[in-house]
Amino acid sequence: MIRIHNASLKYATGDGLDRINLEIKSGDFVFLVGPTGAGKSTVLKLIYMEEFPTEGYVVVQDYNSNDISYKEIPYLRRTLGVIFQDFKLLDDRDVFENVAFALRVTGTRSRDVKRRTLRALADVRLSHKSRKMPHELSGGEKQRIAIARAIVNEPSILLADEPTGNLDPKTTVEIMNILEKLNARGTAVLMATHNYELVNRSSKRVVSIKNGRTLS
Amino acid sequence: MIQGLIFVIKEGFMGLVRARFSGLVATFTVAISLILLGVFLIITVNFGRVVENLRSRVELEVFLEDALNEENIQKLRGEIKKINGVSEIIFISKEMAILEFHDLFKNEQKDYFETLGYNPLPASFRVKLKEDFQTVTGAEYVFNEIITLKQINTKDVVYRKEFLVLLEKYIKIAIVVGLIVGVIVCISALLLVSNNIKLIIFSKATIIETMKLVGATRFFIQVPLHIQGTVQGFMGGVVSALFLYGLMRLGSVEISGLINVSWKIYWSLTLMGALLGVSGSFTAVRRYL
Repeated sequence: MIRIHNASLKYATGDGLDRINLEIKSGDFVFLVGPTGAGKSTVLKLIYMEEFPTEGYVVVQDYNSNDISYKEIPYLRRTLGVIFQDFKLLDDRDVFENVAFALRVTGTRSRDVKRRTLRALADVRLSHKSRKMPHELSGGEKQRIAIARAIVNEPSILLADEPTGNLDPKTTVEIMNILEKLNARGTAVLMATHNYELVNRSSKRVVSIKNGRTLS
Repeated sequence: MIQGLIFVIKEGFMGLVRARFSGLVATFTVAISLILLGVFLIITVNFGRVVENLRSRVELEVFLEDALNEENIQKLRGEIKKINGVSEIIFISKEMAILEFHDLFKNEQKDYFETLGYNPLPASFRVKLKEDFQTVTGAEYVFNEIITLKQINTKDVVYRKEFLVLLEKYIKIAIVVGLIVGVIVCISALLLVSNNIKLIIFSKATIIETMKLVGATRFFIQVPLHIQGTVQGFMGGVVSALFLYGLMRLGSVEISGLINVSWKIYWSLTLMGALLGVSGSFTAVRRYL
């Protein structure tokens, strides 16, 4: 499903990744842990192909970083869902439209947009807030909307970059429950975090990254 | 595909409503830049028109001896006509000269010719010059050619040499000032527009990033932004054209014939607005795609 093989990437600042390896199979739940600046976000960027390795390669589903064309990248991303610490919601439209956006920009039929958006909102238990604007929501609710947007395309892999970084402990547990529920339905989850307490409480697989190298 | 087309067009126009503030600022910025350019264009075009008008009034007057008969006058006319740079020759007879004299002095010298008992004014040719010869050197060339003709003395030919010298001097000063002002205006307009582009880039960063993440193709990302850019720029162009039109009407300068503003200027400003808007959205898209 995802295979990163000896991938290196150097930024001008000197940071980057050094021959990292990672394999994620269908239905896996993997924590990617490491201190700030270790390269966790860069690993995720390699997977959704915002960045490309200078050495080695990344394979996601049927797409290989060595031979993917620029035009194929949007189609690769439709097989992934991505969520971030800062939610990246569009402030100029309501909750329903934020989630539906992921379907509309991929040319989905209006009838299907409505059905699938309502289902994704139900998955994160926010159907009742579909007409609220993002600024009317709490941090936890915003992240749940971001998750709904990430899963509305029914991706087989969910990438989460510090999804609980801005949330209090109670809301963190709520978000984790949603991610675990999605994982139980078969979606592979790769979650980057530096919240070791959260990781220790879980029995999921953990991959550590430090100074751009994977340790385990 | 049709579903996609409907979305991008709808998204383009909805974006204008959603981003009202940044859209208004973008429109206003384009309008200010175009007003600056428009004022400069109007001044430049009209200055050129005034200069052309003044130059076209430059003519040489060739005074004729009373002794010349009709045949000689026609012969002389033919010879002057052959000179390079002469566009038109108007014959002013002695009688016409009296009428012009009266016209010039109105009632002041009404009985002048009756007192004198004869007409002392000579007949003359008014020699008009071709456009290329409406300069100091051009007029001097025609002057020198005319005085070489038989029956014509230097003092028989007059033209407003001092006026031409002065006109050319002021034209040179105006060109230098115009170039400096033009460069300043263009730089100011470019700075305003580039700031506008930065504003567009800033306001579109999140939406472009989100679209990319959820797998939107370039078509879905670009078209709504180009629609918004074009409409905002077009509106800026319309505002600048309306503002300048209002200014001309308000100052009544156009009506009085002092300044003539062609409709082409208003259309050009509107078109330039749309072009500036779409170039802004292209830059924003290139920066984030």
